[in-house]
Amino acid sequence: MKLNMPGLRTRGQHWRTPWWALAASLLLWARVVSATTFTTSLDRDAIDLGEKATLDLTFEGGGPQGTPALPNIPGLSLSYVGPSSQFSFVNGQTSSTITHHFSITPLRPGVYTIPALSVEIDGTVYNSQPLKLKVAQPSAPSQADMNSGSEVAFAKVVMPTVDHLYVGQSTSAELQIWLRDDVQNFGNLQMTGLPADGFNVGKLTERARHRTQAGNRVYTIIPIAIPLTAIKSGTLTLGPLTAQMVIVLPARSGQGGDPFFRQFFNTGEQKQITLTTDTNSIEALRLPANAPAGFTGAIGRFKMTVTEGPTNVSAGDPITLRVRLEGEGALDAVSLPDFSNWNGFKSYPATSKTEYSDQQAQAGVKTFEQIVTPQNSDVRELPAFSFSYFDPELRAYQTLNQPALPISVRSAGAAPVPSIAAAKPAASENTAAQSDILPLKQGLGALVPTRAPLLLQPGFLALQCVPVLAFLSAVIWRRRVETLANNPRLRRQRAVAQLVQTGLVDLRKLAADNNSEKFFATLFRLLQEQLGERLDCPATAITESVVDDRLSTLKLPASLLAGLRDLFQLCNQARYAPVRDPQELAAVAAKFEACLRELQLVKV
Amino acid sequence: MKASRFILFLSLVVWSWIVPVLQAAGPELSGGFDAANKLYAEGKFAEAVRAYDQSLQAAASSGTASAALFFNAGNAEFKLGQLGRAIASYRRAALLNPRDSEIQGNLDFVRNQVQGASVRPARWQNWISILTLNEGTLLTAAAFWLWLGLWTARQLRPALAPRLRALSLAALLAAVLCGGILAVQATAHFNPPTAVVIAANSLARSGPFDDAQTVFAPHDGAELSVIDYHDDWVQVTDGSGKIGWLPRKLVALLPGA
Repeated sequence: MKLNMPGLRTRGQHWRTPWWALAASLLLWARVVSATTFTTSLDRDAIDLGEKATLDLTFEGGGPQGTPALPNIPGLSLSYVGPSSQFSFVNGQTSSTITHHFSITPLRPGVYTIPALSVEIDGTVYNSQPLKLKVAQPSAPSQADMNSGSEVAFAKVVMPTVDHLYVGQSTSAELQIWLRDDVQNFGNLQMTGLPADGFNVGKLTERARHRTQAGNRVYTIIPIAIPLTAIKSGTLTLGPLTAQMVIVLPARSGQGGDPFFRQFFNTGEQKQITLTTDTNSIEALRLPANAPAGFTGAIGRFKMTVTEGPTNVSAGDPITLRVRLEGEGALDAVSLPDFSNWNGFKSYPATSKTEYSDQQAQAGVKTFEQIVTPQNSDVRELPAFSFSYFDPELRAYQTLNQPALPISVRSAGAAPVPSIAAAKPAASENTAAQSDILPLKQGLGALVPTRAPLLLQPGFLALQCVPVLAFLSAVIWRRRVETLANNPRLRRQRAVAQLVQTGLVDLRKLAADNNSEKFFATLFRLLQEQLGERLDCPATAITESVVDDRLSTLKLPASLLAGLRDLFQLCNQARYAPVRDPQELAAVAAKFEACLRELQLVKV
Repeated sequence: MKASRFILFLSLVVWSWIVPVLQAAGPELSGGFDAANKLYAEGKFAEAVRAYDQSLQAAASSGTASAALFFNAGNAEFKLGQLGRAIASYRRAALLNPRDSEIQGNLDFVRNQVQGASVRPARWQNWISILTLNEGTLLTAAAFWLWLGLWTARQLRPALAPRLRALSLAALLAAVLCGGILAVQATAHFNPPTAVVIAANSLARSGPFDDAQTVFAPHDGAELSVIDYHDDWVQVTDGSGKIGWLPRKLVALLPGA
């Protein structure tokens, strides 16, 4: 006998629970509610100036929205590199970690404190611990070490061989990187520090490498030209320059293997090194005070060549003046003298093109193109001009003079006349251009009031409404006329209203005159006209019987019907007994007026 | 009778705007003008400029201005080598009397002496400026009145409508054309004005401060477009993309391009 009890399974029975339910249960079981943590760390706590450190902001179990902001730390340059994330599932426990990486570049040596950072995650503020970073001044190897051949790699700066510079003068120093002969390979050279106080540093260019012996070792020298321009007087300093590079040295013999084969298959040992130079200085002097009038700041040695064309033009035609300055010096700073003071000419801003003959941009040719236009035919030559520069070798200002250049200028509008076919002087056909201002006006003329423009005068603006109002009135009038023309009943209504209006006046007058006969005749006619208009039938068809036959069907007030009936009867009686006194007639007129007012309100 | 009286009244009102109240110059103003002309003839240009300025101030205090005064002042300033002041005077004269060929001739002549970049009016702007703003306003108003008058007549006398159709269409076109020209004139008149540099060796700076960096150096007489104002500084551009700030005392501000 078998007993099947709920909750117990016997052998051979299968689990019927679906797989997804199992997975969900597993996940629920595995879910760990872990607390969020926030930590900061440096990959190194001591570096040399020129090296970089990495600051990591690590969030476990959560993370902030967006990139955490770092405070500004004087002396350090911080830049965001990017985030990385990690998700782990160990022994059923999950954990997620987000790390934000920042690169730290020191600007000067010292001990820096990265303060405690506060980050808000889901409404909770998390704080980190402060960190310290020590930045040491890298030291260049001694001259004895450099000469002995003991250094694998080093760098030094060769300054220009002059006693001093002048402010604005350009020169170039040379950074030399020395690599010993056992350096199998090198690469990834990066300048990490180029401090220059009082210099404007140009683009660095590599020169041809060469080899030399120092001590008992041979070095490969990588020269890099550093263009410099002195921008202030006094002692100018360059350095210490720092650079990083990766070199490959032979693997140490302790790595094993046959030395014979190792020399062919040795892949070497990579090493990142930091190169540091000494600080070099040079004096810079101010330019002498006796600068020529046309001096514009050019320093160096120059030669000037001038060409012009065309030289046979009409007044107002352009002439191109090409000034070619060739030599050594800061060509960027070279500019032409001012041509705007040339009388009889109009000049436009000059354009220039510079072609350097060396990589350091210290020598070459600068060509200016200056457009000038003679303004009248009296001009005979392009005026003389000069270009001044300061020669640092001669320690004196030099001036290059360009004599006047003859040109031929015709009057504007005159076509060039061929010399053979010229039958009569071209000047007689010229339309003379204005060569001076026109003379004074001798009469003061009428004085014009300086009031506000009409557009701003309210009266004038209001006046512009007059034609608009006139036009609108005309349109309304026209519409009314057309409406009346198309509606005979309305027209009759207006005519009857006018008739009644004048009739009432007549009635009052006839009553005052005690003219009973005419009074009742007028009254009867007015009753006919008004009732005819109301009932839309001819006035002559209106009699006393109409009051009983047609007006009674309009559901008029009984008092109005009675009043109308009385008025008709009075009219009839008056034919037989016309004599009445004025008071009675006035009372009849008032009664008629009251009936009319009531009748006009009736909608038919 | 009533209509004719209304039309007469309306004509008088319009006439008072159409014809500027041209006032005869008083003896004091005429005397100053003649004295300044005499100084000019004697070659005393600086004294002549002062005399013209006094006459201009006297005219301004009485609410009037004279194109001839501005023109002659411009001549004297040109003789002193003050190209910017001369251009400003000629332009003021041209605003009062835009169809005076002598004013335009001298203005063009002095403009040709100015070096460097300058914002000059386009040809269409010159064409439009042959009318003063008030003349343009009155012309537009006249065309507008004519058009609406013709339409009113068509409403009052429908029988005339076929005959007036072409005329009212022409009046409408004239009103639209004049209105367009007036809009351009008003835009030029009321928008930021032109700054004429009236000093040599002026420097446009990157900001409205004396120690701001120099951006460009406009020449005396350069006509620049005004972009903005700040205290006693104006921000200007020379039309070639250069923008800078100039002290207001170094420029003359004039309406129009």
